[in-house]
Amino acid sequence: MSRILLEVEGLSTHFMTRNGVLKAVNDVSFTLHEGEIIGLVGESGSGKSVTGFSILGLVDPPGKIVSGSVRLQGRDLIGMSEPELRTVRGREISMVFQDPSTTLNPVLSIGTQMRLALAAHEKVSREAADARCIDVLNKVGIPDAARRLDSFPHQFSGGMRQRVAIAIALLNRPKLIICDEPTTALDVSIQAQILLQMKTLAQDFGTAMIWISHDLSTVSSVASQLLVMYAGRMIESGPVRDLLRVPNHPYTQGLLNSLPEHARPGQPLVQIPGQMPSLIGLGAECAFLSRCTRSDSLCQASPALKSSGERRVRCHHPVAGDWS
Amino acid sequence: MSDPRQADTPLRLFWNEFKSSHLALGALIAVILIITLAVLAPWITPQDPYELSKLVLMDARRPPGFVGSGGFVHWLGTDAQGRDILSAILYGLRVSIQISLTAGFIAFSLGATLGAVAAYFGGRIETLIMRIIDLQLSFPAILLALVLAALLGQGKWPLITALVTAQYAYFARTTHGAAATERSKDYIEAALSTPLSAARVVFRHILPNCLPPLIVVATVQIANAIALEATLSFLGLGLPVTEPSLGMLIANGFQYMLSGRYWISIYPGIALIVLIVAINLVGDQVRDQLNPRLKR
Amino acid sequence: MPASPDTVGPGPVLLRVSQASKQFAPSLSFGDHIASWLGQEVDRRIVHAVDHVSLELHRGEVLGLVGESGCGKSTLGRMMAGIYPPSRGRVELDGVPVMGAGNKSLKTTTRIQMVFQDPFASLDPRVRIGETIGEGPLFHGLVDQANLKSYVRQWLETVGLPAEAADRFPHQFSGGQRQRVAIARALAMQPDVLICDEPVASLDVSIQAQIINLFLKLKHELKLTMLFISHDLGVVRHITDNIAVMYLGRIVEHGPTMQVYETPRHPYTRALLDSIPRLVTDGDELVVFKAIDGELPSPLAPPPGCHFHLRCPFVQDICKTRIPDFKASPSSLTQYRQVSCHFPIG
Ligand SMILES: Nc1ncnc2c1ncn2[C@@H]1O[C@H](COP(=O)(O)OP(=O)(O)OP(=O)(O)O)[C@@H](O)[C@H]1O
Ligand SMILES: Nc1ncnc2c1ncn2[C@@H]1O[C@H](COP(=O)(O)OP(=O)(O)OP(=O)(O)O)[C@@H](O)[C@H]1O
Ligand code: SF4
Ligand code: SF4
Ligand SMILES: [Mg+2]
Ligand SMILES: [Mg+2]
Repeated sequence: MSRILLEVEGLSTHFMTRNGVLKAVNDVSFTLHEGEIIGLVGESGSGKSVTGFSILGLVDPPGKIVSGSVRLQGRDLIGMSEPELRTVRGREISMVFQDPSTTLNPVLSIGTQMRLALAAHEKVSREAADARCIDVLNKVGIPDAARRLDSFPHQFSGGMRQRVAIAIALLNRPKLIICDEPTTALDVSIQAQILLQMKTLAQDFGTAMIWISHDLSTVSSVASQLLVMYAGRMIESGPVRDLLRVPNHPYTQGLLNSLPEHARPGQPLVQIPGQMPSLIGLGAECAFLSRCTRSDSLCQASPALKSSGERRVRCHHPVAGDWS
Repeated sequence: MSDPRQADTPLRLFWNEFKSSHLALGALIAVILIITLAVLAPWITPQDPYELSKLVLMDARRPPGFVGSGGFVHWLGTDAQGRDILSAILYGLRVSIQISLTAGFIAFSLGATLGAVAAYFGGRIETLIMRIIDLQLSFPAILLALVLAALLGQGKWPLITALVTAQYAYFARTTHGAAATERSKDYIEAALSTPLSAARVVFRHILPNCLPPLIVVATVQIANAIALEATLSFLGLGLPVTEPSLGMLIANGFQYMLSGRYWISIYPGIALIVLIVAINLVGDQVRDQLNPRLKR
Repeated sequence: MPASPDTVGPGPVLLRVSQASKQFAPSLSFGDHIASWLGQEVDRRIVHAVDHVSLELHRGEVLGLVGESGCGKSTLGRMMAGIYPPSRGRVELDGVPVMGAGNKSLKTTTRIQMVFQDPFASLDPRVRIGETIGEGPLFHGLVDQANLKSYVRQWLETVGLPAEAADRFPHQFSGGQRQRVAIARALAMQPDVLICDEPVASLDVSIQAQIINLFLKLKHELKLTMLFISHDLGVVRHITDNIAVMYLGRIVEHGPTMQVYETPRHPYTRALLDSIPRLVTDGDELVVFKAIDGELPSPLAPPPGCHFHLRCPFVQDICKTRIPDFKASPSSLTQYRQVSCHFPIG
């Protein structure tokens, strides 16, 4: 395997809300190699976006990174000053946000916005800048990119706006791109286009990616590693194919079983009863306890992360695997 | 993203946030206090300032703190007829608040209905209503009120009519904006696909959802109505002398200002300003809290 | 239960869409009015959202409607639900138009109800759940004030919510629970036809299965006739009997779900099916999907002839000028298999 790019260790981000401490991200650790795509899945509110923000140091009060380290090629980003972080953001790590309208300024043409993003990190002539912009726009599949530079965001469809946002993230050839549900606003056929393009980019340029989504099938088609989050914790991780074939955590298993692909048409789907608990005032027990069918008295204590080979799981009674 | 299962009502959350601003809380207390005092005026004032037979000319134009022939202290002095200023202010406030609240309420109902109906039906009805309202908004409210008050003559209802005419357009505009947004939301489509009657959709679904911005406009407009009413009364176009409001009190004392008997005008003026500022402070806080911020 | 032609058969037609079109024209600004009045050419950017669509919904049938974003699925669904009047053509329930005449007309029937995509937007945030469910039936006399409470409770139970939910507000529920409320509201009107516009798309994965199961249960217990709009082809395959594929305002293929999935005959249907990222966990090849080349053309200026010709790998000259008929495909077994293509596959 290629060299290690990013090491996240024991990352915890909490929000000090009026009603108590909300543990949005709780002791998350993973390692990302150059050119690797890692998928981050979990239900809404499980802490996927906040994990992404924390890596970039973009957590605003009342949120706070309370512990852990984020090392990019050995340098710890946590504790870096804001000016230092700013050079890292965009240049080395960039993020495609869940909502493209937050990235694009409605009153500037996309050409202007892209040139500004480029100029923030290096000095290039106008012609060279335009060439770079057109190049990345072509890469994400915007046809006729040269003429589109003068268009304003509202002149693009939702899917195209999302692609422009991805193009901006690619502009400075970062080492790592964090994509926060970049395709959920898109329909299947356009999703497929973007997924393929991103995968090619990772292969051709060695760009690593963290791909956040709650859709297992899209993630599984781009990522090589999968990380499952539940209630702010990482509950399972491993190579995609392995993990999907033999899920070890009861939640992952339930999720996979509930997909229509796994049931005969017309027959009821296997469902996980209940819903994720509130992240405020989580008790000492396993957060999945109230929905779990395998629980016993051990589960009153939060399980520790166990690892075996490339697989890791946080459960007292994993569904499968050898966890001695 | 708030936890969907929490039991806190939106109103309670709103109140908690409101409470945390000391200035706004103080202003709210002031408004409530002033209104309570004004409502209770007949029972708490030592003197009915408009019972002419009770007035003693000997007590006229006395400075604050004077003990008059009634045997009680005139804390804010007396006016040219020997009237206790404090009592007059409270009575005046009572009239002012009554008039502006009535006018505000009517303007609110009329304006909100027009705005919501325009937004709901769209097309020609909308164009017609909104054009009239735009046209009217291009005139200063005070000018409109002056002309109307002059045309309709003195009295409570002519004054209220003038105030309503000058103000309903603001409510209509605000409601129209809010209602047009609500109109395009799915829950209105759901109501249309049931289908429910137009009246029910407008009054049960659209209007209640337009309330937040309307409440802000309402507080500002009530304060404006009080000021407008005072202005008209000051100019002699408002209420008859038998029902003096704050404006008229200020006007009556005006001629004595230069002779050093400032209290006859100044204290009613201060009462007016305190009330208006307090209402505006409350309104500002409400507006800030309802501002569409990044609330997840 | 795999859908076969004889289980859904040519039962009585309940809802019929005949040659219906819907165009959206932005209303002219004041300046444009004057300009057009002075004889100036005004650029009215008309969106051709639905273009001469004919469709039949039979009693007891669950029909899926799929297609790319912006192809007009929601617009067609809304016309069928009586929210939008068609610009041209007819939508009839048992032979009676669903909406009154005129452009601003209102829906005349309560027998068609709709469930919307986003349960956070489709419930009035200021109205208690009980009232949301009960107001329609009360207004239309399906229940009287005295029995309203128990009526609402009955429908809450049907969708699996506790009776005390009636006194709560939408914000006190999770997404899945809200969608149950929205379904209960539609069912409480005792409709014959339920139009569902992406009812699970905005829900969490683990909650989607709960709602899909609810639909399956309702389908069997209440014998509902449903139009099920979705871009999730896995979900559509799971719960529909028949499927209609839409492309840029037109239905391009229509037939029993299993048949269409297994042997798509329209080039677009095939491309669409090939483009879904699928979760294949057995076998070595994990990902088998490929993107459709080219952009969805603009509904402002749809291409002439077959709408798909700019992206179709089998395009011939005739496709660029002549709109293919929507015909029962000669090689299929039933009249339900229809395709609109000059050169269908297979
Ligand atoms: N600014 C904030 N203040 C308070 N709580 C927050 C804030 N941002 C996020 N949270 C909380 O942190 C938790 C995790 O949120 P996050 O956005 O990471 O979820 P997610 O997994 O990305 O979900 P989704 O799939 O809906 O995007 C949630 O419970 C959320 O309510
Ligand atoms: N009220 C409207 N005014 C103008 N144009 C509209 C309106 N509603 C829809 N359209 C346009 O009509 C076309 C079809 O839209 P529709 O919402 O039916 O698509 P859809 O297939 O439901 O897409 P999605 O999968 O994204 O929901 C789109 O181009 C859309 O922009
Ligand atoms: S630790 Fe216990 S409750 Fe938690 S997932 Fe494992 S078996 Fe279930
Ligand atoms: S009619 Fe022609 S262009 Fe259209 S789908 Fe068929 S083969 Fe392709
Ligand atoms: Mg997120
Ligand atoms: Mg739609």
